[in-house]
Amino acid sequence: MIEIAPIIAVLLPLFGAFLIPIISMVSKRFHVERACSWFAVVILVTTLAVVAAMGAAVWGSGVMVYKLGGWSPPWGIVLAVDGLNLLIALIVAGVSSLVAIYSLVYMRQDTRIDLYSVLLLLVTAGAMGSTLTGDIFNLYVFFEIMSIGSYALVALLVAFRRKWDSVEAGIKYMIIGSLGTSLILLGIALLYGMIGSLTIADLAQKLGQVAASDVLVPLALLITGFGIKIAMIPLHAWAPDAYQAAPSSISALLAGATTTAGLYAMIRVVYMMFGAFGVGTMFAVFGLVTMVVGALMALTQRDLKRLLAYSGISQMGYILFGIGLGTALGVQGGLFHLLNNAIFKALLFMCAGAILYRVGTTNLNELGGLGKNMPITAGLFVIGALAISGVPPLNGFASKWTIYIAGIEAGKAIFSLIAIIMSVLTLAYFLKAINSIFLGQRPKRLQNIKEAPLTMLFPMMLLAVLCIVLGVLPSLGINLVAPAQGALMNQSSYINAVLGGI
Amino acid sequence: MSLNYVVAMLLIALGLYCLLLKRNLIKMVIGLGVMTDGIHLFLISLGYREGGIAAIVTGGMLQDNAAASFASAAVDPIPQALVLTSIVINICIVALALSMAIWVYHHYGTLDPSEIRRLRE
Repeated sequence: MIEIAPIIAVLLPLFGAFLIPIISMVSKRFHVERACSWFAVVILVTTLAVVAAMGAAVWGSGVMVYKLGGWSPPWGIVLAVDGLNLLIALIVAGVSSLVAIYSLVYMRQDTRIDLYSVLLLLVTAGAMGSTLTGDIFNLYVFFEIMSIGSYALVALLVAFRRKWDSVEAGIKYMIIGSLGTSLILLGIALLYGMIGSLTIADLAQKLGQVAASDVLVPLALLITGFGIKIAMIPLHAWAPDAYQAAPSSISALLAGATTTAGLYAMIRVVYMMFGAFGVGTMFAVFGLVTMVVGALMALTQRDLKRLLAYSGISQMGYILFGIGLGTALGVQGGLFHLLNNAIFKALLFMCAGAILYRVGTTNLNELGGLGKNMPITAGLFVIGALAISGVPPLNGFASKWTIYIAGIEAGKAIFSLIAIIMSVLTLAYFLKAINSIFLGQRPKRLQNIKEAPLTMLFPMMLLAVLCIVLGVLPSLGINLVAPAQGALMNQSSYINAVLGGI
Repeated sequence: MSLNYVVAMLLIALGLYCLLLKRNLIKMVIGLGVMTDGIHLFLISLGYREGGIAAIVTGGMLQDNAAASFASAAVDPIPQALVLTSIVINICIVALALSMAIWVYHHYGTLDPSEIRRLRE
């Protein structure tokens, strides 16, 4: 039964998405409220359970391979799950189930919640598919499903609430994003022309025999394409607008799930397929630039969601830096930070959503003194902010510390020093945000603001508990990340498992 | 045959130019479409073979010698499948982009991205 788990994890949200219109019609007939939202929650939690069930098999016995239609690679399409994409799939499924629970209340006032649920499930299906597949073109297709879903989700509020900046952000995201995915397609086309195969494992094996100068163009195209998705610095223009204009639940999903899937695609293609550990230094430099520019831009923001967007870009820099070092410790720190980033970034965007839900604005100038009205949200926001700034004993500290040490061990002590300074800057702008939202003078019109509803607080509390648990017991997180790191550093087991017996 | 590649690269370059430098949302969407079509032409040219036959096996083709000659004459069917998939994806993108452009035009009365930014502030 467990052999079909990979395909089930993709098909559940995909078919769930197409069932929602029917459920919407039926529930309207029988006047059942919020049936679509609940259905989305059930589907996503089941997906998470399926992914978790794969965990035992993958961690125990290595790579799980599912052949679609029984066609063996390199002719057929395979789904191949090793430690690396299992970790990513866990993050994606976990974040999207929490987002679905959060949206139960957050999107309640909108009448066409069924459209929202369809898109939410489609984005999850795309992210799961591009994570679990072992075929590069299949990865592209699922990546497009995920991207198109997220363009529509970013622009969705224009249809719900006539929020005009969201359609503008949606267009911007869509133009830049589709340019990126076109470049990915061109890269895949060049690879196919060169090698004549689309299975990642097969490509990885055969690319080793091709001269390095020949693979440079497709490699650059793929890095640029995936770099747009994860908002690496010269390619980040869409991110602040999109994160600000999207519903906060979707900002959490974009920050926690789709960028994670994008980063996974980047790692898988660059490191496993091209075996290009040589470009690691470039990643480390890009990561450094990303973290510096992101942190500096975040300092000047006057809107909480824009601030969180820039800080998310900055955190992506840490991950790129850690993974770019290419040492065991660096990769471990980078992947651990990837996990932690999904946790606290989703938590912070959900807090911003809670404030937006109760107050109606996230402009820092108009907020103040909310700590008395929303003590739980305030506490959760502080936990998230301290975790993201790398304050012990929270999870951000454990992963950032690993990255610093890895940087020093790799002989790049200067880089580590800059990373530490950026961490202090992160703390600075988050203290500024905490100060102007929860402390200080409370404007008169904010007197009667109530605490956010419990359904919204529940996923936030869960994430905050994870922040603390992974911070107090970092070995737990390291154990979770170790199989992923092992899979990334040693790709021959993946290749053998996929191409085995040929 | 090499003409295909030249045209494909021209289409990609033109589309990219149109996407990045035009100040009209509709033209940008057209540019995106042209660029993707260039990539499609490139992909389909990869699998094309001068005087090739369709990669469809019919009765009698798989007898001893016929199989080898079939394999040497048939065009590569995979790029065609890829292009078909990609065309469908492209339709989704163009439809979504145009519907967003309609929203923008209804509200702002213009399709110029910089004009829209100015109107908002």
